[in-house]
This record gives sequence, structure tokens and C-alpha cells, in this order.
Amino acid sequence: MKLHNKKYTSAVLGIGLAITIASFPSCKKSFLDVPQEGKQQSTAFWKTADDAAAGVNAIYGNMRSWENTAFPAIAIESMGSDDADKGSTPSDASFFLDFDRFTVDPDQGNISGFWNGQYRNINYCNQVLQNVPGITMDATLKARYFGEAKFIRALSYFRLVRAFGGVPLRTKLPTDPNSDYNLPRASVAEVYAQIESDLNDAAAVLPQSYGAADLGRATKGAALALHAKVAMYLKKWNDVLSYTNTVMGLGYSLLPNYEQVFRLANENGPESIFEIQCALVPGNPAASNSQYSQVQGVRGQTGGGWGFNVPSAELAASYEAGDPRRDATIIFRGETTPEGDVIDKVGDNPMYNQKSYVPFALFVPNFNEGAQQNVRILRYSDVLLMNAEAANELGNTSQALTSLEQVRFRARQGNTSILPKVTTTDQTALRLAIWNERRSELAMENDRYFDVIRQGRGTQIFGVKGWKAGRNEVWPIPQSEIDLSGGVLTQNPGY
Amino acid sequence: MKRIFTKFSVLTFLCLLFINAAFAQNITVKGVVTDGSDKSTIPSVSIMVKGTTTGAQTDAAGRYSISAPANSTLVFTYIGYVTKEVAVAGQTTINVALASASQQLDQVVVVGYGTQRKIDVTGAVASLKGDEISKQASTNPVAALQGKIAGVSITNTGTPGTTPQIRIRGLGTIFGNQAPLYVVDGVWYSDINFLNPGDIENMSVLKDASAQSIYGIRAANGVVLITTKKGKLGAPTTVNYDAYAGFQKVTNQVKMANASEYAQFTNELSVLNGGAPVFANTNLGAGTNWYNQILRDAFVTNHNVSVNGGTEKSTYNISLGYLDQDGIIKTNNYKRYTARVSNDIQIYKNLKVGYNITGVMGKSNDVPTTIYHQLYAAAPSIPVFNPDGSYGDPRSQNLGDGANFNPQATIDFNNQITKQYSVTGNIFAELNFAKHFTFKTSVGGEFGQFENRKYSPKYYATYAQKSDASELDIVRIDTRNWIIENTLTYQNTFNEDHNLTVLLGQSAQSNKSYTLNGSAQNVPFNTDADLYLSLGDPASRTVSDAGSRITFASYFARANYAFKSKYMLNASIRADGASQFFGGQQTWGYFPSVGAGWVISNEDFMKDQTVFSSLKLRGSWGMIGNASVPINPTQIVVAQTADLTAFYGNNNIPLPGKSINTLPPRPIVWEKGIGTDVGVEASFLTHRLSVEADYYNRKTSRAIFNLPILGSLGTVSNEILGNQADIQNKGFEFSASWNDKTAGGLTYSIGGNIGYNTNKVLAVLSGATPIYDGSTGITNGYTATRTIVGDPIGMFYGYKTAGIFQNAADIANSPTQSGAAPGGFKYQDLNGDGRITSADRTTLGNPNPKYTYGVNTSFAYKNFDLALDFQGVAGVDIYNANLAYRYGNENITKDFFDNRWHGEGTSNSYPSANIGSSANSAPNSFYISSGSYFRVRNAQLGYTLPSTILNKWKIKKIRFYANAQNAINIFGYKGFSPEVGPVPTDNAKTISTSNPNTTLNGGIDANVYPLYATYNFGINLTF
Repeated sequence: MKLHNKKYTSAVLGIGLAITIASFPSCKKSFLDVPQEGKQQSTAFWKTADDAAAGVNAIYGNMRSWENTAFPAIAIESMGSDDADKGSTPSDASFFLDFDRFTVDPDQGNISGFWNGQYRNINYCNQVLQNVPGITMDATLKARYFGEAKFIRALSYFRLVRAFGGVPLRTKLPTDPNSDYNLPRASVAEVYAQIESDLNDAAAVLPQSYGAADLGRATKGAALALHAKVAMYLKKWNDVLSYTNTVMGLGYSLLPNYEQVFRLANENGPESIFEIQCALVPGNPAASNSQYSQVQGVRGQTGGGWGFNVPSAELAASYEAGDPRRDATIIFRGETTPEGDVIDKVGDNPMYNQKSYVPFALFVPNFNEGAQQNVRILRYSDVLLMNAEAANELGNTSQALTSLEQVRFRARQGNTSILPKVTTTDQTALRLAIWNERRSELAMENDRYFDVIRQGRGTQIFGVKGWKAGRNEVWPIPQSEIDLSGGVLTQNPGY
Repeated sequence: MKRIFTKFSVLTFLCLLFINAAFAQNITVKGVVTDGSDKSTIPSVSIMVKGTTTGAQTDAAGRYSISAPANSTLVFTYIGYVTKEVAVAGQTTINVALASASQQLDQVVVVGYGTQRKIDVTGAVASLKGDEISKQASTNPVAALQGKIAGVSITNTGTPGTTPQIRIRGLGTIFGNQAPLYVVDGVWYSDINFLNPGDIENMSVLKDASAQSIYGIRAANGVVLITTKKGKLGAPTTVNYDAYAGFQKVTNQVKMANASEYAQFTNELSVLNGGAPVFANTNLGAGTNWYNQILRDAFVTNHNVSVNGGTEKSTYNISLGYLDQDGIIKTNNYKRYTARVSNDIQIYKNLKVGYNITGVMGKSNDVPTTIYHQLYAAAPSIPVFNPDGSYGDPRSQNLGDGANFNPQATIDFNNQITKQYSVTGNIFAELNFAKHFTFKTSVGGEFGQFENRKYSPKYYATYAQKSDASELDIVRIDTRNWIIENTLTYQNTFNEDHNLTVLLGQSAQSNKSYTLNGSAQNVPFNTDADLYLSLGDPASRTVSDAGSRITFASYFARANYAFKSKYMLNASIRADGASQFFGGQQTWGYFPSVGAGWVISNEDFMKDQTVFSSLKLRGSWGMIGNASVPINPTQIVVAQTADLTAFYGNNNIPLPGKSINTLPPRPIVWEKGIGTDVGVEASFLTHRLSVEADYYNRKTSRAIFNLPILGSLGTVSNEILGNQADIQNKGFEFSASWNDKTAGGLTYSIGGNIGYNTNKVLAVLSGATPIYDGSTGITNGYTATRTIVGDPIGMFYGYKTAGIFQNAADIANSPTQSGAAPGGFKYQDLNGDGRITSADRTTLGNPNPKYTYGVNTSFAYKNFDLALDFQGVAGVDIYNANLAYRYGNENITKDFFDNRWHGEGTSNSYPSANIGSSANSAPNSFYISSGSYFRVRNAQLGYTLPSTILNKWKIKKIRFYANAQNAINIFGYKGFSPEVGPVPTDNAKTISTSNPNTTLNGGIDANVYPLYATYNFGINLTF
């Protein structure tokens, strides 16, 4: 028995060991080597031309984001101007008032929202710029992709530098947490230099136009027009003139009817230089995610929207007598729109933005109102007015008057009794006329606020609302960003 | 024999069927255990075969049955009685009378992978018996732990069907699911909402790192071991029926402003924002009390039938449970059906096989989570229904956002049902061989299906609550988890005095889940049979899926050595491999522990003293791991979300966008908890008074969690995962209990426990940068917590108020403050630079509770029994985020209305109606208040029918009781409940993972879930 027990013991121990080994899946490396379910590994990406195309798609898709087109953009780029008021009901989203009155503090979420949104654009661009070079594919297409990415990166940095002044300049993907995660602010000049360099590169490779299947991608004209605008902010008038002259030779034209410029049928039309492409796709609400039109839509009516960022009384009063652009820019309470929508006589706000308006009949239940509306970023009339301004600054009055008249001519829509031709040759008077024209032509397109600041008229025009020179030229750097940087980022003066 | 052995060593798995007649002869011993003085039978007496881990318990009638070697000794132990040892000597019936005054330290407790005599335990382990759990009439077994065990704090979530939040000795980890590991009959779970409290035999809470470390990877948040009820060998069939019914009633309801007050408030707010008054007439009376309209006294009933017993060679236990619980929100209901079967069969003398299987089906009629905040925010000026029967519409009063809903419409048009099916359990075999060895193998698993369907009809209730198309959303989640464990135990006693137990083990696990989501519009709905996606508009159909799989491989070993029941030494080690860490720097983690104990009272020099009935010192050290880490965090994946879809031209053809919008985390290594524990256990006055005290110190090193990162990095989430901080929890626990019996026949016990815990961040690994978080429920993107070296984790952080600006002159005379307005908070200029900037923020409060305590009493006199339990928390702060969580014209509490600033001199502490403005909603000291509370947790009065009556009916026991839970709550907090738990979710499945860093958001009350009390009447029947 004793013998048996010993044998027995060793036998069972052997069994135990055998079981242990047999069920030791860990001995086989594969048991613990479990890939993430349902996710494509990054190591398998950036290999093919399709990957490059998808990477570029992501840049454009992301441009529709809330941060790029909705509250954060409105807060930073529109609310401070004299053209727009908060809208909606008085207590609703009252933080907009802090932007309107320049009492906002650096903690406000839309400041970091705008900041983060622009840097997301920049990341998607950098992803393409850094990863696509290694892909074997058609060289022309590859170069075009770089041009597209550089255009969007330049646009994003332009929006950042206008809003905040010098910002951290990221031109490559961050890889080393110790050295390139936490970057200090670059100077305003450095940011602008990068923007100009990107736009030069983009203009060199981007095509003048695309076929129907690629309409809306960045073009040579878009790069040049944006470069002109950047140069205008830098007062590089020769550059403004030269870039706008080039764009004016690229075949753009103004639509006869100003109001129609902002309707779906004329998206990516002859007047369009760059638009953020939005769409409403049945069955795909997640891709139909633009809220640009929704947040500004007529409040209280089906197919309308939330009613923020409404035209101000000052804007309504600023138009020259009879200017049809007033009616085309502003939806008035009680009016019937050219598309036949009857706006309630009693509503929360006397006016709404007509440039983001999508006829109510196009509303699709369970989708964002107006999800199909593209966001107009650069229009040909802006180019003409930049050309006029540059020419005037450089003493070329006749070209200035000619370009200005092109804009006014279209605005007149054949009615010779309104919007008389500007004839002054006095540089100061003409400058003011061009500035006023910019306001009327580009109202509610997020141009006015920074336009007035670059004109040096901040105190004069926004002073009554609390704007102070030496402080309000830029918004505060997001507090969260300063906190996270551990003091590497410094706050703008006065905040 | 020889031939058989050879064969078996090849066919390894057949070892389970192994037999050998050479093993010691076991016989079945039966008997009754009675009280030595009054001869009453004693249930739940623990019977152990001396020197083994084999044990049994007496049933309700004091009967037991145990299989034991004929030459062994049985040890009978029960709390309050002297332990008795009886030699079996071939007897098959042994009736035992126990003398009063217990040897409490001789109790058997369940520890990891086995049981130990309480006296041999060198770590901190606390247990709760099944009858104490079922007695509480809680719907979830975890709730029954509240206030019972020092250092264990429970926070109720309130949603029927969800498990309360449980924290053992403070916060050990930060990321993800902070639930402890539950081990039910050897199978691992992260939630036990499938378990019927009535099925539980014993719950052991492993509190210190040395006791937990045998569970290595999953032990970071503590371990709760649960054994379920089993039948007893040779016991006659016993049928138990336990049931209760009652209702849940909201208590400590916060009073909201009424319609007139609301109208006045709304007008003030509108004027402050530059608008016109909203209400022309503010004299609107009381208006609608939305809480009264939507809340109800909610019915709850629970029934549990179990049948158990045993033959000479097998035992069985079958139980069926039914729970039907209404939520306090009308239409909310949860039903749970459970069936549990366990069966142990002694196939051969040395081989036992068995299984435990639980089937559960849960069905919840859900209410949307948003309803809670809606009730808080809804305008009292709106009628529930207009006279014409239509819904009262906030738009009719131009109320705008923030209050643009009618809560009645919200629940009326919500049609969401969640079902949960799960089969879980294990099958095991246990082989005793060569006298001292036990080999056990267990295969367990959980196979679950979670079904959620939501039907939103096409409807028009109010302007903001409408839908122009119906939509059906379906979610299916399949869970497939399995675990295999093999253990080999060697147990021997050398020279009478040296007791050695060695355990070797191996385990492998896989947890897999698959989620499928679909939706379609315009699905007809006449009956449930219509609810198919394929009946909806083809163009509107969407489908998506996701999955996860994690695997673990582990080895572990433990040795326990005891000398003469005086000196104990325990040591263990576990090695865990985890798929989450695969490919990183460390796939494997190693978790050792050691412990030592000294039973001073068993020393010879203590023989003659009379102060201590028992006295024991123990100390331990251990290391534990945290597996609650996202899957393969070091693998960067490609983002291809729909919002990256590009459209070119005017044809709206979606072109998928793909890119990378996350950053590679730094290499992640194991987060480890390293804990020491020193404890003393003593009893006095012939064991009537027993006390236990512990000091512990646990360091969580390299805690893994998400840290906010610079927005300029351009990632989609602005957070990155990594080993971020070292955190320390240390504290004391003390518990005492007094058990006695008076000459008049009153048996009573009074117990108290208190835990004191402090939490401190020792290091932030990513640099000296403070961690800002806590934006959950805070408007305007503010962060309300800061975690910094030297402070507790997630401290509230913001401005200190210095009063309220009364007028323009006041503002002019104060430091420059952006957004300053009369009626707004005046912040303190802490750095004295004459301006209020973010540099003036400071620490405002601590969301980590310092003290948790409980007092538990029970009294029995003749046929009556009474239990009173009290419980509380002290030394904790809460951030009341609800006050400033405003987008527009939300309603406000009556307290705020009465005390608000509304003109010069009206208040210097409460701000104006514009509390939601950017300047006022910035986190500040006004929103912080004490979260201390004290409550009468449980009060129960029972009456057991005299046996003279029962004998006639052939019934063993009938007991009736009345029970009140959380009936009295005392706290100073002005929100709904000082128990700030996790955010409630729409269904009974999971706690929201939307903000996985729950710890850094701790104590922020943005839930407004009302507190409620539960009143029950119940019956316990045994026949």
C-alpha cells in the first residue's frame, strides 16, 4: 500500500503538471497576443494610395466639426463684431454675451474649443504631410494632396493667429513627449511666415479646378485668395495686389443675384473660391453632422434652428439705402423668404442670418436643420475688394475703383437708382468706402470682427461694447492650455 | 494498479475520475448541535475536519452532515460559543452541545483559493454571513455590506438593477471600472447584479494587499469572495421560502421654487442678461410640482424558494428567485428571475465533482437618464397638461432652452426595454490523494446576452419634444467569458505542532464581448413583433459593431505555516500575464505577499491572566495589480469615424475619411498597489467583547489613467493614457462588538466600526504639472478638481468667494474681475496683484471621505428579534454642480430663490439669478459643502412563531418581519443626496464609461438622483 501511495502520488503530480502545462496557454505566445477587436492597426495604415486619399478626406470631413463651424467659431470670429448679436432667448447660452462685451475669461469653454478645433485640423494635415511621402503612388496626385493639406493647415493657422496672436507652431507630428509635446508660443511673425510658406507651396501644385467628383477641394485660386487675405492682414499691399490680380485671371465671376450665392444650388459655383463641404445623406446622420446652419437658423420654426448669431440692429442700419444685400443677408421677422418660407411675426428675435439659411422644406426629420449647407469661406467678391483695397493703398486708384465697382454692380442687380458708383479718388475716402463695402458684402460671414481690428479701428467701432486697444486685439489663450503647459505658454496681455 | 497509473498519466484530463481505495476511509457523520444551556438548536455552526479544509455547517434546525475520516476529529465552532473538538472514532452520529462564550478566532473564514481558520489569517479579512445579507431585504447583495465592515464604503446608485458603488479602503485606482473583483464559487466577475442575495452563504471582503495579492491582476480595488448555499450530506430535504414586499419612498426631497417664484426668478435673469421680462404676470401660484408629478412610491417585491438537502454521497441546492422592483420614476421597472442549481457528488471516497449554475433574466423598463435633471430644471409655471389635454409647452411661455421640456412627455414617449440573459457558473472536480494532497480543477464561465431596444415614436408633445419620424434602435451585446483554474494543495501537520499548507495554482481566462447596434426609421409599431429593423426605411438603416477581447494567464503559489496555533507565517506569489500589456515593456507582472501572526493568548505566560479571552497580533505586506486598463493601449488604431467622411461636389457621395487622431502613449507598465497592514484582534470578558484594530498603508504606484493633454497636440480626445501618479491611502480601522445574553433571556449584540482613510498623491510621474479634471456636469468647460503632489487626489479647486458685488462702486473698489456685475460673486485676490486671474484659484475641499462608520445592533427576546443598523460618512466635501448647471431658464431650488441676491443689500453670499453666467459658474467655494451624513440604515423587527404551533403544521419555522431601510437621513448638504455616486445610466447594464477617470471627478454632484427609503414586510418560512 505504501508503495502504491508513493507511485500514486508521483503519478497524480505528474497528471497535475501535465494538465497545468496543457492548459498553460500562456506558454504559447499567441494566448496573450490579442489585437484590438474591430480596429485597424495604425501599422497597417499609410501604405496605399487609398490610404492617402482617405487621409485627405479626413481633413475635409473634419472641417465640418462643431469647433470649425458652430459655437466656438461664432464666439471667436463673429460675436465680438458690431454685425452680430447673441440671439436665441436672453438667458440661453449667455456665455456669448461675454464675447460680445469682451468680459470673457480664459476659462470659457469655447475659447479652448476653437483652439482645439483648429489644432485638430492641423493634426490631420500633418498626418498627410508626414505619412503620405512614404506611399508609392502617382506623383502628381501625391503633390496635390500635399497642396490640399498645406492649404487647410494655413487656413487653420490663420484663424489661430487672428484669434490668439502667436501660437505654438506644429508643422510635424509630435513624437517625443519630452521635447515636442509642449511647445512655447511662436511669434506672430513666425506663424505668418509658416502660413505664407504653406500657401506658396499649395498654390504651386494645386490645380485651377476639379472635375465634378472632386469639386470643393482646395484649388490654386483658393491658395492665392487666402494668401492675399493673409497679406492684407500683414499690410503687404504689393502681395495682395499681385495675388488678387492672379486670381482675377482664373475665370471666377460673380453670380448676378447676391441672395442666390448662399443657396444650395450655387454651392461651389463660379463665385465660390473655397467652401467647407457639408451634406445631408439619408441613413447617415453621423456624417451629416454640420450644425453651422442649425445653430443660426430661425428659432421656433420647424426646419429653422436655434437662432444664435443674429444680425444686429447696427448691421441692418449700416446698409446704403436700397441695398438688396440687406434683405439677402437678414431674415426679418414676418417676412417671406425668396424661397417662400413665411417667418413668424412673433418670434424670439427680430432678425436671423440669411446666409446660413436653408429653406424649411429641405429639413429632414432627425437630422440637423440645414445640415446640407456649405460654409462659404472665400468668395470672389472678397478677392475683388482686397484687390481694390491694395490698389488704393498703392495709389492705383483707377484699379481700386474698377474692382470695387464690380462688387457694387452685382449688388445693384440692375437697379441703377441704388448703390451709386464710387468715384472718389481721395485715398482715405476710398479706403473707407472699400471698408464699408466689405461690411455690406461680407456681413455674417465671420469676416467683420477681425477685419475691423486689422483696419486699426477696434476702439472706434467696438469701443462702445467694451473693446480696449492693447488687450482685445486677441482673445485670451485658453486657461486649460496654459495650465497643462505648466507655464510654458504665456497669457495674452490684459487677461 | 500499475497499468492504470500509466494510462492515467497519459490521459491527463481523466484524472478527475481517478479513484483509489488506498485513501483514508471517509464516513458520513451526522448530528445536531445545541446550546449547552437552553438546549435550543444552533444554525450555521461551522464544522471542520481537524487539520483539513473540509467543512460543513449546521442547517436552520441545527443539523449537520459531514464526510470525515473515521479516525479524524471534528471541530465545532460558532460565534459566542466555546469551540469543541470531538473525535469521530467511527461514530456516525455525534450530537454536540456547545457552551456559551465563543472562541471567535477559531471561526473559519473564506480566503482566496480556500478557507482558513480565522486565527490563522494574517491579513485583514472580514466576512458577512448569508443570513445577515438576506435579512437586510436588499435587492443587491453589495448593498447589504453598507455600514457592516470597517473600511468598506457603499454608495447607492438608485437605478433599479444596478450594483452600488463599493470602495474598500479608499480609492486604489483611478481609471475605468473601480468595482472590486467578485469571486463567486471560484468564477471571476466584475459585477454581481445577477446574484440573488438569498443564495449567498458567505461574503468575505479581502481588505489588505496580502490577502488580495493571490488575485494579483484584478485585486487593485479589493476582492469580495462569495460562496453560495449548498446542501449538506445526508441532510433531509429542507424547503425555504423567503419573501418580502414593500415600497420605496423618496425622502429628504429638495424643495424647488414654485411657479410664482420661478417666474420672478426668470424675469430677473432675463433682465440681468439685457432682455425683457419673460413673464408679464409673476403671480402664478404654486404651479406644477414636477417631482410630485413624476415620482411615486415605488413597489418592490422579492420571492425566493430554495430546496436543499443531501444523500450519503451528494448534496444539492436549487433555488428560484423573483424580484419585481418599480423605480421611483413612474414607468421605471426592473424584474429579475434567477435560477440556481448546485450539486456536489462524492463519486469516490477521494473524488468529488460538482457544479454551480446560475441562470438569470433581467428585464428593465428604462427611463431616460435625462429625466432626473429635467425634474430639477422643469418650469413649475407649465401645466402638465393643458385644459384641452395637450402637453403643457414651455414655449407657450417663451422659456427657451434649459427648461424646454415637459418631463411628463419625456417619460410618456420613452419606450426602452433592456433585457439581460446570462448563464454563469462552474464545474469542478476535487481529488484527495496521498493523504495530504488535494487537486482541484474548475472550469467556469459567463455566457450573457444583453438586449436593448428603444422605440421613439413619431409624435408631437411640445415644441421641443417632438419627432417627425419614428426610430428603432437596437443594441445587442454578447459576453463570452471563461476561466480555467487548477490548484494543488498540500496540507500536513508535523509533530503535532507544525501545520503547513502549500497551494500551487494556475489559471487562464478570456473575456470577450461583441456589440451590435442597429437603427432604422419609420418602423411600424402595432405589436412588439413589428420591431424589426428590416421593416424600417431602407435608406435610414444604420448598423455598427464593436468588440473586445482580453486574456489573462496566471500562476500562483502560497504557503501557510503555523506553529502550535501561536505563530503563523503566510507567503504567496502570483504571476500574471495580461493581453493588455502584450507588446509593451512588461507583459507579465509579479505580485508577492507575506504575513505573520502571533496569538499571544495561546502563550504559556498568558494562561493565568483573565483580562484577555484572546489576543492576536498580525502584520502583512503584499502587492496587487490593476487590470482595469483599456485594451492594448499601446496599439494606435486608425480613426474612421463618420465625421471624417468627406463630400466633394454637389452629389453628396460620402467618401470615408481615415486618419490618426490619437497619440501613442508612453510605454505603459503595470500599476501596482503595495500595502502593509498591522492588526490586533482581542476579546475580553469570556469573549463577550471583541475588538479588532488595523492600521494600513497602501501605495498605488504608477497609477494608470487618462491625463488631459495640450489641445495643441490636435488629438480627438485631448487625453492620453499613461502611468501617471503614485497615490497613497493610509488609515485606521477599528471595530468592536459585544455579545451577551441576559438572565432574562435577552440575547443581544452591539457592534461598531469606523474607518479613517487619508489619501495623498505622492508623485505625478508626468512631471510636476498638476492634473486638472472634474468638468463633468460643470458648464462652460471649467475644471473643478486639481490633483497635485502632496494633496489628496481630485481636490476641489477654484476661487474663494469674498461675498457678492452689491453695486458698481463695489466692483470699482474691488480687484479687477472679468465679467464682474452686481449680484455676481466677488472672488478673493489671493496673490494680491489687484486682478482676479486663474492664479487666484485655490484648494476648496476634499471629495475623499475621511471617516466611514457603522453601528450594528441586534436583539432577540423570546420570539422577537430586532436589528438596528446605523451608518454614516464624515469628513467629505461635495461640489453642488446642479446650481450653476444652466443653459437658460432652468428652475432653481427654493433655498436658492429665497436667499439669492436681487438688489443691493439682499445677500452677500448667494449670487443673483445669473448664477449660470461664466463668471459665476466658475468653480468657487460657494458650490462646496460638507457631504457628511448619518442615517438609520436598517431597522428590522421580526417575530418567529412558537414551535408549538409549527409542529402541528409540520413547519420548521415561520418568521415575519418589518423592515425599514434608509428611513432617517441626517445631513447638511442642500442637494438631493450626500451620496454622490456614479452617473446613472439609461439601462441596468453598466456605469457610464464616458469619463473613465471617475476618481478625478469624484464628489461632483451633477446627478440629482433623489434619495429614497425602502419599507418592507417579509416572511421567512422553512419546512
